[in-house]
Amino acid sequence: MIYSSDLLKNKTALITGSNRGIGKAILETFARSGANIVACARKETPEFIEYVKNIAKTYKVNTQTLFFDLTDENEIKESLKKLFNEKCQIDILVNNAGVAHGGFLQMTSLSKIKEIFEINFFSQLLIIQYITKIMLRQKCGSIINIGSVAGMDSYPGYSAYGTSKAALIHATKTLSQEFAPYKIRINAIAPGLTATDMSLQMEEKASKVMISDSAMKRLATPQEIADTALFLASDMSSFINGQVIRVDGGMK
Amino acid sequence: MTNIEKYNEAFIMSFQVDEPQLASLTYQSIPSWDSVGHMGLIAFLEEAFDIMMDTDDIIDFSSYEKGKEILKKYDILI
Repeated sequence: MIYSSDLLKNKTALITGSNRGIGKAILETFARSGANIVACARKETPEFIEYVKNIAKTYKVNTQTLFFDLTDENEIKESLKKLFNEKCQIDILVNNAGVAHGGFLQMTSLSKIKEIFEINFFSQLLIIQYITKIMLRQKCGSIINIGSVAGMDSYPGYSAYGTSKAALIHATKTLSQEFAPYKIRINAIAPGLTATDMSLQMEEKASKVMISDSAMKRLATPQEIADTALFLASDMSSFINGQVIRVDGGMK
Repeated sequence: MTNIEKYNEAFIMSFQVDEPQLASLTYQSIPSWDSVGHMGLIAFLEEAFDIMMDTDDIIDFSSYEKGKEILKKYDILI
């Protein structure tokens, strides 16, 4: 459902992987709710720059873009240091960017597993490390990590992706304890299979199993994930911390 | 406020200690300088000197005196 609100007015949200799929839906939902946006993506393209400018115009919010590769620690650090040095306000961080991978362990190289963890886990921790420096200065913040039901339930073929998301979910719970004294909340969303380009990478047989495991027998829409992110980002969830919200249509 | 005044204030405010105690302070030598207190101290120093410290430096920041050395890397002379 698409609606308009002022839930995030005067807040600034940094969203990774905001050029497509769930991240793009979150970007637009947050802007529609009044948030200023720091839109992050891996590659700079004229289309994305134009898209973000249009978002600013349409919803009358401030936007800026940041480009970094999640496999490049230095690029991440330099980009985020810039925000810190410019004294940017960041009230909300959505760690959305990630990479999907399916494959049995015997068919997955260790280097691939490390690569998945680098993108889905280590880079997310690094981003949290840097953005919380800004939030510590402000003494407030909401961090939303996009996990996956694959990080909570066991499916064959998820030895790399599922475990990387499980690590992120566990980190969410641990860090929520560490940062609570500074009024920084950290939660995660565990989407079921969602209708994005990423879901198309999945083997048809495997995706059918996930859909049939959901009581609602369908894929999630990116908007349904974005709406949950909006709730967690806003003060409506001010006493929710260290939780993982499944958005999966009721999986077995 | 001079740099040494700012530096001392960070410790005094973060750990509720008096100035004469500062020179001998080391990490975990007093109850308030625990890991939570350490995060507060680093946030205070970053704000006071307008710097962003690297994680390795945050880990190495093991005493009042060592902190002075570390801040030199950020062109802050105490």
